[in-house]
Amino acid sequence: MAGVQAAVTERPRVAAPRRFPWVQVLIVPTLLFLLVFFAVPYLNMVRMSFLLKPAEGPYLPQFTLANYARALFDPFNWKILRNTFWYSILTTVITLVLGYPIAYHLTQATPKRKRWLLVLIISPLLVSVVVRGFAWLILLGRVGLVNQFMQWAAGTELILIGTPEGIVVGLVHVFIPFMALSIAGSLQNISPDVVQAARSLGAGPWQRFWRVIWPLSLPGVLAGSVLVFVLAVSSYVIPIMLGASNVLVMPMLIVQTLLDTFNWPLGSALSMIFFGLTATILAVYLKLMGRSMRWTAP
Amino acid sequence: MSSITLHGLTKRFGLVTAVNQLDLEIREGELITLLGPSGCGKTTTLRMIGGFEIPDEGEIYFGERSVTALPPERRNIGIVFQSYALFPHMTVWHNVAFGLQMRREPPPGIRQRVAAILDKVQLSGLGGRFPNQLSGGQQQRVALARALVTNPAVLLLDEPLANLDAKLREEMRFYIRQLQRDFGITTVYVTHDQSEAMVLADRIAVMRDGVLEQVGRAEEIYGRPNNAWVAEFIGLSNFIPGTVARRIDSRVVVQTKAGEFTCTGNIDGSVFVCVRPEALHFDDNRPNRLTGVVRERVFLGNLFDYRVESSNGIRLRVQADPSRAFSPGTSVQLSFDPADAWVIRAEQV
Repeated sequence: MAGVQAAVTERPRVAAPRRFPWVQVLIVPTLLFLLVFFAVPYLNMVRMSFLLKPAEGPYLPQFTLANYARALFDPFNWKILRNTFWYSILTTVITLVLGYPIAYHLTQATPKRKRWLLVLIISPLLVSVVVRGFAWLILLGRVGLVNQFMQWAAGTELILIGTPEGIVVGLVHVFIPFMALSIAGSLQNISPDVVQAARSLGAGPWQRFWRVIWPLSLPGVLAGSVLVFVLAVSSYVIPIMLGASNVLVMPMLIVQTLLDTFNWPLGSALSMIFFGLTATILAVYLKLMGRSMRWTAP
Repeated sequence: MSSITLHGLTKRFGLVTAVNQLDLEIREGELITLLGPSGCGKTTTLRMIGGFEIPDEGEIYFGERSVTALPPERRNIGIVFQSYALFPHMTVWHNVAFGLQMRREPPPGIRQRVAAILDKVQLSGLGGRFPNQLSGGQQQRVALARALVTNPAVLLLDEPLANLDAKLREEMRFYIRQLQRDFGITTVYVTHDQSEAMVLADRIAVMRDGVLEQVGRAEEIYGRPNNAWVAEFIGLSNFIPGTVARRIDSRVVVQTKAGEFTCTGNIDGSVFVCVRPEALHFDDNRPNRLTGVVRERVFLGNLFDYRVESSNGIRLRVQADPSRAFSPGTSVQLSFDPADAWVIRAEQV
């Protein structure tokens, strides 16, 4: 260590004098904002999840694991957790299946068509989720278009409002743009030469897709599916509107615990468990995907 | 491996005719370069041979077989792009094996052939690497191995050396030439670099505005360009305007402002006398002589590059070995051989 320091001091000083890094100061407001409105409340929730809930009042400053015990040993909570993850995975898979062709079409389109397609894909985002949820209520309701058609065509009712399927329909609709745009970003990066090289080597359309285009689009599939899964898991408005209080998902349960039953410590504990499991699922998914994307490592 | 015949090949993009009524016969095992400035239609021609562009008119044959209507995947071609276009998500081994897998070769055969070709391009130890872990030259060799391992009927190379640095590019020319000879594969090589074309090609096809200007061996194209454009494009050339005074066998005597010169050729009327800069010598040992004054001199390492103005105001480029140096302002005597000068029609400039 001493030797290193000696070597450093012996070197003639030719470097320009260090300036104060003003540019880096620009990030301070953002960091402050995140600290005050994100980190502190979150840490407070972590703390609260370990505090005692008295019969009266929000909490007592006394350490306990009771909230976690109560949350984890209630099979009802596990059912809600399982359902929430299941609907979200379903939503993610369906948006992937529906979003991929949209993305592919987008990258193949001429620049002029591409602009229009982009407008079409993004325009739903300009309408509030509440409005779109309401639109689905009208479409899927007992006297809605879908049901009228089903009664005319098959003579049966198709009840979607108040069912998990109805929620998934709404979620897929809301999240498709995120998936399609993520995948399009990846597809756009595939050099046409690479696909042509595959053709020259005898690869037909299916082989070109499964051996070349699909694996090269995996980064976009990964980004899109993580985004949609996270958004779906935490969605609140669509499940509450299309679930018609028949179907419960985790964010609704947490809000109910916090606001309706006024149990902040239990609500916090549920939040922590929910967060932990979501993070675990994502970690496993990233690990699995990472194996097929070894080539992206530098 | 097979010969390639292009017959009346035409390709239009909107109002632009990229390739116009092109006829070309490429012999079996021959390496031909399509040489021309950018936008001359050489890459479009290559892409039509590969099947990536559909010609508006004309036919393409590999040997006796018409491939005009076949998609690339059914033509049995090997292609190397300027970008190499390696599959970034596959290892070197899988890149090379891809074409064999598409042909449903049995795995033991694939392993053996991939190993053999990786050995051939000196990449034996690197089968497990991904393309982004290779140098440009190594990627280039993977691309060549991938294109050759399937024993294609023809090999198509689209400016394959353009992304390499100058020194490596130089080496790779000879390497590709050797590889092509070893495989004996009919090869079409697109380039805009005339020295690359000269080193590599059995024959050079010079293209301009979608039309073949001249096809021939490098010596023919350099020594006897069809017209002034080809002469300008391949190397440097001096053009001395004049009129043919009389014809003697295969020679013509041309009257110019700088004097009477005997040249190769058999045309009459208004002509240009073409002389390469290195064919002009600072002495009076040769039949065609003229005098002038050195205006400029540039040292190029292996030679001096002079601008000489003749007594009648004609500017000439002269390249001579650096053993004797003439300073600007010096009066000099120049001479050249009738065999080193040829005449082309004047209207073609």
